[in-house]
Amino acid sequence: MQDILKVKNFYKSYGSTVVVSGVSFEIAPNEIFALIGPNGAGKSTTLKTIATILSFDKGDITVCGLDLKKEPEKVREMISYLPEEAGAYKNLSGLGYLDFMASLYSDNKVQKKKFLDSAKEICGLGDKLKNKVSTYSKGMTRKLLISRAIMTKPKLAILDEPTSGLDVINAMEVRNIIKGLKDQGMSVLLSSHNMLEIEYLADRVAIIDKGKIIEFGTIDKIKKDNSAQNLEEVFIKLAKI
Amino acid sequence: MRNFFTLLKKEIRELLTPQMILPLILMMILFAAIGSFVGREAKKAEKPSKVIIVQNDTSSLVEQLTESAKSKFESEIVRGMSAQKALEKARNDNTVKAVFIFPSNFTALVASGDDAKIESYYLLRSFSSMGTKNITSTKIFLAGINEQVSNYLILTKISGANVSNLKNPVTAIDNVVVGDKLAAVSPDAVLGFVTQQTTFIPIILFIVITMAAQMIATSIASEKENKTLETLLSLPISRRQIVATKLIGAGIVALLMAAVYMFGFKYYIDGLSGGQATNITAEMKQAIGVLGLRLDLSGYLMLGGSLFFGILSALSIAMILGVFAEDTKAVQGIISPLMVLVMIPYLLTLLVDFNSVGQGVKYLIYAIPFSHPFLAAPNIFMKNYALVLGGIVYQFMFFLVFVFIAARIFSSDKITTIKLNFSKKKSQ
Repeated sequence: MQDILKVKNFYKSYGSTVVVSGVSFEIAPNEIFALIGPNGAGKSTTLKTIATILSFDKGDITVCGLDLKKEPEKVREMISYLPEEAGAYKNLSGLGYLDFMASLYSDNKVQKKKFLDSAKEICGLGDKLKNKVSTYSKGMTRKLLISRAIMTKPKLAILDEPTSGLDVINAMEVRNIIKGLKDQGMSVLLSSHNMLEIEYLADRVAIIDKGKIIEFGTIDKIKKDNSAQNLEEVFIKLAKI
Repeated sequence: MRNFFTLLKKEIRELLTPQMILPLILMMILFAAIGSFVGREAKKAEKPSKVIIVQNDTSSLVEQLTESAKSKFESEIVRGMSAQKALEKARNDNTVKAVFIFPSNFTALVASGDDAKIESYYLLRSFSSMGTKNITSTKIFLAGINEQVSNYLILTKISGANVSNLKNPVTAIDNVVVGDKLAAVSPDAVLGFVTQQTTFIPIILFIVITMAAQMIATSIASEKENKTLETLLSLPISRRQIVATKLIGAGIVALLMAAVYMFGFKYYIDGLSGGQATNITAEMKQAIGVLGLRLDLSGYLMLGGSLFFGILSALSIAMILGVFAEDTKAVQGIISPLMVLVMIPYLLTLLVDFNSVGQGVKYLIYAIPFSHPFLAAPNIFMKNYALVLGGIVYQFMFFLVFVFIAARIFSSDKITTIKLNFSKKKSQ
């Protein structure tokens, strides 16, 4: 089966500062892949590049076989991106926001209704969707944004710190939503600082530091290779090097 | 009390931000520069105006009256010339502001105690305060003639002269010349009408352009502040569409604002003038029509086009400037260069006679795309259509270039990486 995402020898720099240097990985269909690393390692830059927000200097990136450089607009139809610190349009109601987003993906009324029904189910906000986004708590906004990101069932969902700033209950709900995505035929590229979350969600992991991948594989393999009990131990060991 | 001062210090520090200080400094510099420029132009305008005095009566009285004009004006005296020829001569010399014609029977009428008449023709070439300054000085000149003739009548004790004639022996037959059009009407009445009809145009232009610019810059800054920009950029829409919809959206709202302000201002002017602004006499209406000082459909289209492209030019610049603002608070400071560019033509067109400024300054003003809508109405009145249409073409080209730059920025990393934040908190 064709890989959903292929990143090969990817380089990105801001001026003279090299942020990502020769990163390569791929994501298979129905796979949750996590990119972890310390602050400033190049995770968000990688995610933003794949989300077509940033350009890149060197390398090849394809999404569902589409060249990111040559066909960014087609790539955007295949992906969905949830930034780390995302917000929604505050003057819209939750439902208005979802409706606006659904309209960008389909003109078809039936299809749009499907997207909206799916989003309503995912976010679980019920009648509160009629309220303005400006009245939402951080947890409610995050759930709204996640439902927006996956209501269209993208081939690849790029989620940057999806549970950032959420309380335990909200974070658990969001994790369960993400966990269920691969059963719906989606692949996920995930970034998080929460190692327990990664262990719970990810099929495979790449640890990135100073713009380079320093460890790669399934969680069990990485733990075994580094003689560690859990991913957090691996991370601490590798980060100290 | 200590808490009061601690709080007061905090309040002042919060309010006195670089975003607030920068526009203030820019405006101060701008006002100083414009003040100095207008001052120089005012000095130029104080120089005696050039007038043509036609003596179709060569009596010593007329000679004497003409002599007094020489001290007030740069006068060109011609003898035995028809009004038509004199006007032709005046039209060919841009510095001539008025033509006074002493008819051949002037002295005879004075001597017989009848009402003597001087034909006065005012050549309106500008509607700015300095461009119309000469009308006042010529009115003073005519008052002086009346006084001199009155003195002459008293001294010569002409019998049969009635009292009102002794007090006011000479009547000026006022005419106004605009381009090749001529109407027998008072220049004050014409200027009053034109001012009432056009004063609101630059004010509305100024408000609409600055508000439209602020709107689009805020729209981009709020996308950054509310963290919606990255999501927007990852959606299945092209960057060109994002740029276009932001521009058109702000343009539509700006035009709506312009319409609301125009209606509001029309009622305001009507209210101030007790409805006189729209209720003019039939003669005045006819004179205005003859002089071509009423905007017809093509005039409105040209003015509308100039305003539309002026707003679009402002939006395209503001869109680029908005990219630099990291939050809505920074917008005010970021768009202050644009405000300066709007303020310059706004003040200059209100105050300065554009015909008298140097070529360098003229081109500099023409280079500012917002100058054209400010200049459009007077240029349409003066039938300088080439300048109006040329201005629209220039504005359109300007808009295309800046939209292209905006689209390039939106298609590059710069949209998310460029920052020009003055906030102290963020820099920590």
